[in-house]
Amino acid sequence: MAALRSRKVVELFYDVISPYSWVAFEVLCRYQTRWNIDLQLRPFFIGGVFKETGNKPPALLAAKYTYAQHDLRRLADFYKIPVKMPPMERLMRRENVNSNRLLTAVTLDCPEHLENLSRELWMRVMARDQDITEPASLETAATAAGIPSDTTPQLLSRIRDDDVKAALKDTTNQALAYGAFGAPTIVAHIEGTPVMIWGSDRFPLLAHLLGERWEGPLREMAKY
Amino acid sequence: MCRYQQKWNIDLKLRPFFLSGIMQGADNRPPGMVPAKATYMGKDLKRLTDMYQVPFKLPSNPAEVMFIKGSINAGRFLTAVDMNCDQYLEELTRQLFLRIYYRDEDITEPASLMSAAAKAGIPEDLAKQLLSTIKDQAVKDRLRQNTQAALDHGAFGSPTIVAHVDGKPQMFFGSDRMELMAHMLGEKWYGPLPELAKAKM
Repeated sequence: MAALRSRKVVELFYDVISPYSWVAFEVLCRYQTRWNIDLQLRPFFIGGVFKETGNKPPALLAAKYTYAQHDLRRLADFYKIPVKMPPMERLMRRENVNSNRLLTAVTLDCPEHLENLSRELWMRVMARDQDITEPASLETAATAAGIPSDTTPQLLSRIRDDDVKAALKDTTNQALAYGAFGAPTIVAHIEGTPVMIWGSDRFPLLAHLLGERWEGPLREMAKY
Repeated sequence: MCRYQQKWNIDLKLRPFFLSGIMQGADNRPPGMVPAKATYMGKDLKRLTDMYQVPFKLPSNPAEVMFIKGSINAGRFLTAVDMNCDQYLEELTRQLFLRIYYRDEDITEPASLMSAAAKAGIPEDLAKQLLSTIKDQAVKDRLRQNTQAALDHGAFGSPTIVAHVDGKPQMFFGSDRMELMAHMLGEKWYGPLPELAKAKM
């Protein structure tokens, strides 16, 4: 009889304003049913990571922004995720943090909605070029994600609460402690050691380190 | 790419360029200048080279190797070889990589370049003659042209791969788009293929 292997914890630190974070999120959501992993979603604040590390948003370099537009188009097709690089004005809005605070409130109060709400926020900002900063936008996203409409006003008001702001800061600091400098940041806990991997292009390596098999994009599991 | 040129229906063209010129042209900075990135790169390179079975060891002073000593002479030497006897280009490239990124050896001095050339199988007289041309205008121009060609494709770093698919150039940055490139080329990705490795420890 095979011994029951405990699942390996894989933390995904992500910001919904990061297009590559969406790729990593969908891939890991698909693979959490294939690999013996316990996927833990950790919405964080990329602005805080850039500030602490001295790293700059890659989009600020014209050649990188142009490249990312092509790269994401190809990845969208390869992974069957409708991701598109948002226009600069949307990318750089300070108020994007509201989305991450909302996700943090959901993590604290009703984590069963975290996956769906994360996906819905990405659909807004990356697939449909829609706002994710205004209360009305966030309310629409919450409802579309299946959060009961009688609980959304209270959930939205939590964005301004000190415990929510502190929790977002705390998650961001956890990522920084693992050596993060960008998004997505994946931390796989392998035999008691945290292994930090940056980006959405190390899945074959992650599989290798987890002792699992990389089976490619699994487009048949796309939610679109 | 050297392994996959044996598996895929591709014509691999090696184009040595000058990374400092790319950084300048794209107004980019080496990633290693952000401390958290430098730390990550060291770990990432070790894990990747283990998985791909590429002999690799970080130099004792990576900043000196990359930012101070640089690669202009090595780049020009590779260019001279490319222009005159390109059958040696792949192996000379490999030997230069093994020098800095496996044995922590210099690649800037004439003696270093001659040693790499010898290991690459280039006859000594030929190597000496090519080394004497590295300051010639034709060699400088060719290296500059390769660098500019990469910039024209939108390059901002190294490696830059340009796959010509259905008459359209598809630029890929980095060494981690192989599976996607396979998909676009209509080929299959088989993973690291260590059995096809030519770089030996």
